[in-house]
Amino acid sequence: MNPHEVSSKESTHMPTADGPQEQTDVAPDVSALGVREGRGHTVSLEDLHAYYGQQHAIKGIDLDFVANRVTAIIGPSGCGKSTMVRCINRMHEEIPGARAEGSVKLDDLDVYAPEVDVTAVRRLIGMVFQKPNPFPTMSVFDNVAAGIRLSGNSRGANLRDRVHGALRAVGLWDEVKSRLNQPGIGLSGGQQQRLCIARTVAVEPEVILMDEPCSALDPVATLKIEELIDELKERYTIVIVTHNMQQAARVADSTVFMLDGEVIEVGPTNDIFTKPRDERTERYVTGKFG
Amino acid sequence: MQETRHQYREALKQLEHQTLDGLDLVIQQLDRALEAISYQDVELAGIVVADDDRIDGRYLEVHQAVLSLLARQTPVAGDLRIVAALLHTIRCVERMGDQCVNIAKLVPLSGYEAPKDKDILDSIERMGQLARSQVSQAKHAFATRNTALAQDLVRQDAEINRLNREIFKRAVEVGDDLDMREWAMFMILVARCLERVGDNTVDIAEQVVFVVTGLFREFADISVPTTPTTS
Amino acid sequence: MSITTLPQISAKRRRTDKVMRGSLVAGTVIALIPLILIIFYLLQKGLSTWSRSFFTTDPTGSFFGNPGGIRSAILGSLEIVALATIISIPIGIGVALYLTEYGKQSWFANTVRYFVDVMTGVPSIMFGLFIYIVLVTAHVGGVGFAAWKGAIALALLMLPIVVRSAEVVLLVVPSSLREAALALGAPRWRVVFRVVLPTAASGLVTGSLLAVARGMGETAPLLFTVSTAFGLTFNLSHQMNTMPFLIYNYIQSPRAVIQGLAWGAALTLVVIVLILNIIARAIAGRSRMT
Repeated sequence: MNPHEVSSKESTHMPTADGPQEQTDVAPDVSALGVREGRGHTVSLEDLHAYYGQQHAIKGIDLDFVANRVTAIIGPSGCGKSTMVRCINRMHEEIPGARAEGSVKLDDLDVYAPEVDVTAVRRLIGMVFQKPNPFPTMSVFDNVAAGIRLSGNSRGANLRDRVHGALRAVGLWDEVKSRLNQPGIGLSGGQQQRLCIARTVAVEPEVILMDEPCSALDPVATLKIEELIDELKERYTIVIVTHNMQQAARVADSTVFMLDGEVIEVGPTNDIFTKPRDERTERYVTGKFG
Repeated sequence: MQETRHQYREALKQLEHQTLDGLDLVIQQLDRALEAISYQDVELAGIVVADDDRIDGRYLEVHQAVLSLLARQTPVAGDLRIVAALLHTIRCVERMGDQCVNIAKLVPLSGYEAPKDKDILDSIERMGQLARSQVSQAKHAFATRNTALAQDLVRQDAEINRLNREIFKRAVEVGDDLDMREWAMFMILVARCLERVGDNTVDIAEQVVFVVTGLFREFADISVPTTPTTS
Repeated sequence: MSITTLPQISAKRRRTDKVMRGSLVAGTVIALIPLILIIFYLLQKGLSTWSRSFFTTDPTGSFFGNPGGIRSAILGSLEIVALATIISIPIGIGVALYLTEYGKQSWFANTVRYFVDVMTGVPSIMFGLFIYIVLVTAHVGGVGFAAWKGAIALALLMLPIVVRSAEVVLLVVPSSLREAALALGAPRWRVVFRVVLPTAASGLVTGSLLAVARGMGETAPLLFTVSTAFGLTFNLSHQMNTMPFLIYNYIQSPRAVIQGLAWGAALTLVVIVLILNIIARAIAGRSRMT
């Protein structure tokens, strides 16, 4: 069986012309992932503390992330936004000397409960990183399938359908369908990041965390990913860390402002950017510091 | 902490000064127009009409500066509210300038030997003074972000509205003299222009409250209580 | 302030440049001279002994008559080094994996690193003596000298080289790849075997080949562990002929013919090492292309 055979049913979207780098540009189609049952999932942080050795980086955070919404985390460098997000999928503890306390609940399940399998948590809470990191020794197809294979669920799974579905969902299908078995690192920066998102989505998580996903990309690629995020929130709860305030303003339903390891203000994005309640938030978003 | 975005802050301050100075221009025009009416000075009226170009010019300047600021500096939060309020305010300035021109245009029409009714003239004078003080107070309220002062403008505006109704009643009862009746009709028009000036200052007052609180409330007549609309 | 002319290099600086360049070139030439002389002598003295029978017949061991060829030495060397490779490479890579993936900067890992460094500096004869005392004099396995004991000595010698080079290669694998794999919900061992090792593969092969090349040429460990034999044997429990040993023996012979054979063997050894180096380089070069 050749997993790379292109499906004979073509996309019904009309391709629209795009810039010189990418050929046809098809909108992301999240329904390609199939039917999903049940409602969305919330994430709640309760009294979360995080440490790097002796350094107290996150100082008691209580926060709720609404299901099927995009929440942006903004704040100056070093305020702890990435640290906090990495506590959600328990990646923080992979750093030598780092630890977290408190609870992070996915719906009602505490991911920090003593008997919980960390790898299972990460399958439910996916992560997209700042710099696109496709696996260099794998083809496009294998990259997207990597999540499924690495988490040990590849037996019997209809891998081909899931990979194709994921690629359609991120709007990459038309651009890569003719080169599924070529190295993943041969794609452009924006395509690579969408490939990483496809890889994350193929595992079928409930929540997607994004740590500054567009900082390494050019403006056009950035806008494509923002559009994708807007589509993805139908299915997933999305948390995005960004140092680009305009991006938070464009993309997020709610925005969280952090400073020195604490949450200063949380609110609908519109409120944060037109009438913030806290003086510090006002000063940060108007660029008086940061 | 070192202040960042120095140029931007300067541009924002400059924008506010330009807009609020427009209110000074309005006061100047108002004074002149009222004098022209009182003494039936056609020449002065001509100057008022010509000078409206300055106010129109100011409007265009501010409008352009707002667009430029929005495009290049992406103001948000408090700054954004200020920019939106300034755009609204300079429109009010422009409209007030137009009202002064309307008043001035009524001067030659009222005739050289027009008979005058003292009561109506006094009321017009009083309205003019009120309008002038309202414009001045609006400017001060905006510059100092004083919401109490802004709210007070509603009370003063009620007085202008009352005077307007009074003048109308008086003009109806002014008598059978044709010339007198004609003059009185023109005075009604002048009163209406002044009443509009008053309404514009109340608009500016609403903007002041919006800048400070982030909420937009229409100031109704204080005699008619309304519930505030929150966004 | 205007520039009317660009200042020119002073004569003094020109002189200094020339002197520096001259002395560096001279130094390089001087360093290369012995290398060139070695190659020259090898070719001059060894090439003439190469013949069909040289490679296809075993040494006869006869003092006066036909000395035979060096077949058993070549095959013996290959056998022993192959066994040493099978022992040292998996263990060496395993140690390197432990150091980079699990131990990292713990005191134990640092201690291991320290000892590995020490081992690279140990004279090769020490490994031979160690095995001699532990395995040979004690007649472990029922024999004194044996080929497999020599293989162990060589493996001990190759081990630190493999560990060192493998650790370097594994550290070069970007941590973002490990992060990506972990965030997909992969258990650590899968991250190592499915992502880290494939990415580092060509570098590991290169490092291993260099260790093998080193092993082929070592004489001292073999002196005390394998000794020698003339005839061809594939039995690892017996003494076996090896190239370094043969060279060591033959060069001391009063017969010019036998001395010539020593040169021929030396040339053969150098050629084998050269081929291994070229293969290593080719693999490294090809991986850089992708």
